[in-house]
Amino acid sequence: MGNFRRLPRFDYLAPQTIDEACAVLAERPGDARLFAGGTDLLLQMRRREIAPRAIIGLKGVASLSFIRRQNGGVAIGAMTPFSAIESSPLIGEKHDFLCETAAGIGSPELRSVATVGGNLSGALPCADFPAPLITLGAVVRLRSARGERSLALEDFFRGFAETAAAPDEILIEIELPSRPACSAGAYLKFHDRHAMDMTTTGVAAFVTWDAEKRLVADVRIALSVSGPIPLRAKKAEAALRGRQVTGEALEEAALLACQEAKPRTSWRASKEFREELISVLTKRALRRAGEKAQAAAERGNA
Amino acid sequence: MSVEAQGDYAIIGTPVPKKDAWIKVTGEAKYADDLFLAGMLHGKLLRSPHPHAKISHIDASRAEKLPGVRAVVTGKDFPGIKYGSMPRTRDYLPLALDKVRYIGDEVAAVAALDEEIAEEALDLIRVDYEPLPAVFDAEEAMKPGAPQLHDRAANNISAETAFQFGDVAKGFAESDYLQEDFFETQPIKQGMLEPHACIGLWDASDRITLWASKQSPYVVWKQLSMGLGIETSRIRVIQTYVGGAFSGGKQEAMPMDFCAVLLSKKSGRPVKFVHTMDEVLTIGHLRHPMKIWLRTGVKKDGTLVAQHLKIIADGGAYSSIGQLSMYLPGAMLNLPYRVPHVRYEAYRAYTNNGFCGALRGHTIPQVCFARDSQLDMIAEKLALDPIDIRLRNALRPGEITPNGFRIGTFGFTECVEKALQASGWKEKRGKLPRYRGIGMGCASLVSGARVMGHSASTAQVNVHEDGTVALVTGSTDVGQGADTVLSMIAAEVLGVRMEDVRFALVDTDTTPADPGTFSSRVTFWTGNAVKLAAEDARRQLAEVAAQKFDTDVKEIVFRDRQVYVRDDRQRQLGFEELVRIAQHRQGKVIMGKGSYTSGEALIDFRTGYGNMSPAYTPSACVVEVEVDPQTGQVTVTGLWGAHDCGFPLNPMLVSGQVLGATVMGIGQALYENLIRIDGKVMNPSFRDYKMPLTEDMPKLANVGHVNVITNDPSGPFGAKEAGEGAAAGVIAALANALYDATGVRFRSLPFSPDKILFALKESDSKREERQAR
Amino acid sequence: MKHASPISLKVNGDDYELSIPAWRTLLEVLREDLNLTGTKRSCQEGQCGACTVLLDGRPVYSCLFLAVEAQGKEILTIEGLARSAGALDPIQKAFVEKGAVQCGFCTPGLVMATKSFLAENPNPSEEEVRRAMVGHLCRCTGYFQIIEAILAAARERAGKGAQA
Repeated sequence: MGNFRRLPRFDYLAPQTIDEACAVLAERPGDARLFAGGTDLLLQMRRREIAPRAIIGLKGVASLSFIRRQNGGVAIGAMTPFSAIESSPLIGEKHDFLCETAAGIGSPELRSVATVGGNLSGALPCADFPAPLITLGAVVRLRSARGERSLALEDFFRGFAETAAAPDEILIEIELPSRPACSAGAYLKFHDRHAMDMTTTGVAAFVTWDAEKRLVADVRIALSVSGPIPLRAKKAEAALRGRQVTGEALEEAALLACQEAKPRTSWRASKEFREELISVLTKRALRRAGEKAQAAAERGNA
Repeated sequence: MSVEAQGDYAIIGTPVPKKDAWIKVTGEAKYADDLFLAGMLHGKLLRSPHPHAKISHIDASRAEKLPGVRAVVTGKDFPGIKYGSMPRTRDYLPLALDKVRYIGDEVAAVAALDEEIAEEALDLIRVDYEPLPAVFDAEEAMKPGAPQLHDRAANNISAETAFQFGDVAKGFAESDYLQEDFFETQPIKQGMLEPHACIGLWDASDRITLWASKQSPYVVWKQLSMGLGIETSRIRVIQTYVGGAFSGGKQEAMPMDFCAVLLSKKSGRPVKFVHTMDEVLTIGHLRHPMKIWLRTGVKKDGTLVAQHLKIIADGGAYSSIGQLSMYLPGAMLNLPYRVPHVRYEAYRAYTNNGFCGALRGHTIPQVCFARDSQLDMIAEKLALDPIDIRLRNALRPGEITPNGFRIGTFGFTECVEKALQASGWKEKRGKLPRYRGIGMGCASLVSGARVMGHSASTAQVNVHEDGTVALVTGSTDVGQGADTVLSMIAAEVLGVRMEDVRFALVDTDTTPADPGTFSSRVTFWTGNAVKLAAEDARRQLAEVAAQKFDTDVKEIVFRDRQVYVRDDRQRQLGFEELVRIAQHRQGKVIMGKGSYTSGEALIDFRTGYGNMSPAYTPSACVVEVEVDPQTGQVTVTGLWGAHDCGFPLNPMLVSGQVLGATVMGIGQALYENLIRIDGKVMNPSFRDYKMPLTEDMPKLANVGHVNVITNDPSGPFGAKEAGEGAAAGVIAALANALYDATGVRFRSLPFSPDKILFALKESDSKREERQAR
Repeated sequence: MKHASPISLKVNGDDYELSIPAWRTLLEVLREDLNLTGTKRSCQEGQCGACTVLLDGRPVYSCLFLAVEAQGKEILTIEGLARSAGALDPIQKAFVEKGAVQCGFCTPGLVMATKSFLAENPNPSEEEVRRAMVGHLCRCTGYFQIIEAILAAARERAGKGAQA
């Protein structure tokens, strides 16, 4: 009782550059936490789920917050808050469903502070951003004092609050490759109220449309909050690839997505309800992405 | 009681802004947590992690030694006197003595230099518990062999009520059709934004002062006296601004209040306690979750003949005001429809869950949900219009219900008609596409009730020589607008302006004793007292003026800071001038006094008979919904309420009350549920205890509130309540709208998406089966 | 472990030099060290909005922000809004006049959020107002009079007067 306490004590370190941050993290393996927006971490600390001896605040590393064109696609700095993604003309141009996803997270107050990097690194099952980014083939860049490496976002999540990042690595950037022509994405999530709730379940779909053959050239489907880690529904994808977006095809894809997902019953929602939602949201996300991709094709748009 | 002619009021009936809104909108209004006294310590409470356990030993020595800790208290530091609201069932202790009865039950408290140290100190208190078997279901709790929570309550029966008016068996025999249903409601919380907060001071002269966010400071004053074993003359409760109450902990004395004062005694310093929101959402009070059986007999034209209502309520670990809680549903079944024969049985059982008490509407929303859902079902079965069945059975002014409610003004049929008009019912009902629906739910509330010994409200109006008026009552503003409407009444009677009236916060040392702010009593009871007090002051001034103008007292008019002879403005002087004349020439300090009580006898709780309130307030609510059949999500696309408040003293504030109460009802209907597993609250957080948000609300264009004006002769300027009534009918309105939208009847709260989705699937598959055959 | 360190906060145009530990939130420091109690302590978990303040003009939940990280920013709280007694911000006036204030506990947070919102979106639709205020709970009003107040404040600021 009194689960919610004043914050525990910690050292606070405020590096000004990425290198400084890596150096500080290297000095304190295991007992320092990286602090991005902090909106998740502070709550975990208040509940004494974690009590790090040191916090490395990244808000002062200006070079970690950016949205820019890169290698034909887009790169987003880890410390970019959701409010910036929501209103970014560049992301709106390239991947408008990411703007929508960002816009659907919490409230303006939360979006001013919570960052995409925090959302990914925290690896909490309720996070909304991993699934959409996975469907875009996102790659994350991790840096440490030892150097830098890239990793497909799809391979980044290991378990509840567990990622592939080594204890001394910082997620610094998310790179989205260039988008194929006639492609579009959608992320649909469900919760009881119309906002603010923890997502019960969410489905992201990214469809590349073959304008000539009038069928799905490629599709990627990823699920949020449907298992301990974000899940790419590869069997569902395979079922839809090379087909038209018909009711039958969608049903098949939805059924497979359900089977691949591993939703559990919790006091928040039953397994059966989550399965229903996965099925519905998969169909809706695919339909929406498909329609947008087709519309792009019809506009002669890339 | 004089009845003023309507219209031509200077202030009454106008949308005057809430008096304290100005300082609230700048952040200047000080709530309890905003007060800092010199040397103040911070308190924290240690709570039981077990739903049911004996306390064998408490060792607080390590906590006492922690640097920064100034005092620790446990149950043994208090005299062991049980306190509470109802004489026969008092079972609260400031801190648990021999037993804890629910997860969250308070066991010890510390006062330290800051909250961090206080929290750390709690970790150092060692409590040896002997866990006992626990029970979490009301019916299970009443079975022989169930774990017993309280020695004196056999089979965990906290309250038992049974009454019958008329002859229900005969009524059923005479009915053409019988409908019987089982309904279930869930535990919900007040959900106010301001957590409970107080500062206690036990000073060097052995006097106790408690600053606290309380809606009924005198209840707290008396309960503190009881639980501390100290005479009330040594206790002073000062009300701070209340950031929402809705009954519950702010209605009574809480462990934090007792611990604040005792820790102050031990430490020699003031001690502040503020609950965290997870504490607030874990501890009692809750709205009683209920199992409701309702059997209704009607004639084939829809006339109600008889109703048999049986309720089993999970009362949680303590009594609170359980006796009253159980009386209400059966009593209120008699409103707003005419039911010749009513039989009622209710049990309130103790369980090892958080305890239940009053919460805006008390136990009335639950019964209205059941009853008004059932009316729609009956109407459908008999091929009757759901509106017609309501109008057919509507009570009318002048009737007396079988249980003794004397209906005065009662604009129920107007409420129904206005709600229909406002919502566009006729254009929508039966014409909306599938998965969109519209439904109505009705209710009635009371304008205060005589349920305890002292129910009267008293007011004093002190007129100053600068023409300003100090209004002193024992009633609190909890956001509902009491400060404003009471000031409006005084200002209207004395012919001064709103800004001339100062409304006092309650201080038990100086303001008149008052039952408190609950039961929607303040506008009516305190309002009447204020009107009488202002009239008393006016009469004294009028006598002076009459003498000066050489005319009759009856000819003196008070308006807009002027006092003049009716039909002769030549004979006029300023209000302020008149006051000075009265004071200086006549040596009078003008003070007016007024007291009001309804004059009714106490309800006989054994028989359930008696007129509970001097005025009843019917309402009709219409809700329009859209359902996503594939996810079960409900969107409320329209809501319209018509409420008989007698006369809206301040239409803007009445609207705020009615719409606010309606939205609380929507919260209970769709989103809210305090989820307990083995006595542990799983969602003690606003993230998971879901209350309606802006985006859950319909567009402004689809929201309407209409006042039905009946000018009650017993209420001040014709006014009756507006604070709770609207919360009671909306749940059934939603149930009925959902039925209209989906063809599925929901009888268990909340109407959550998963319930709706699976019910729709089942209904669809049944329909397919039928079609296949 | 280091305890208190010197930090500089700029609040409502005033500069404060404080010595506080890193584990204090901006909300706690505003209320407990600077006595600016207009910003309210309610859920403390970023759900109710009662603690909303502006940082460089953007609304944040001060309960989820470390005071040390608010250095170098312009912090605006409810106390910084009115230019003087009797010269309230149009938003504050609108809240009072439209009945948007009942118990008042959610009010400062909502007013601050509105301040930021209208600066960015001076002529909002009702839908946009609703969306912008979704991170605020109000248990008293049901929101309708709050939304009306914000729309009225927008009109007032735009010089269109108070007529609907």
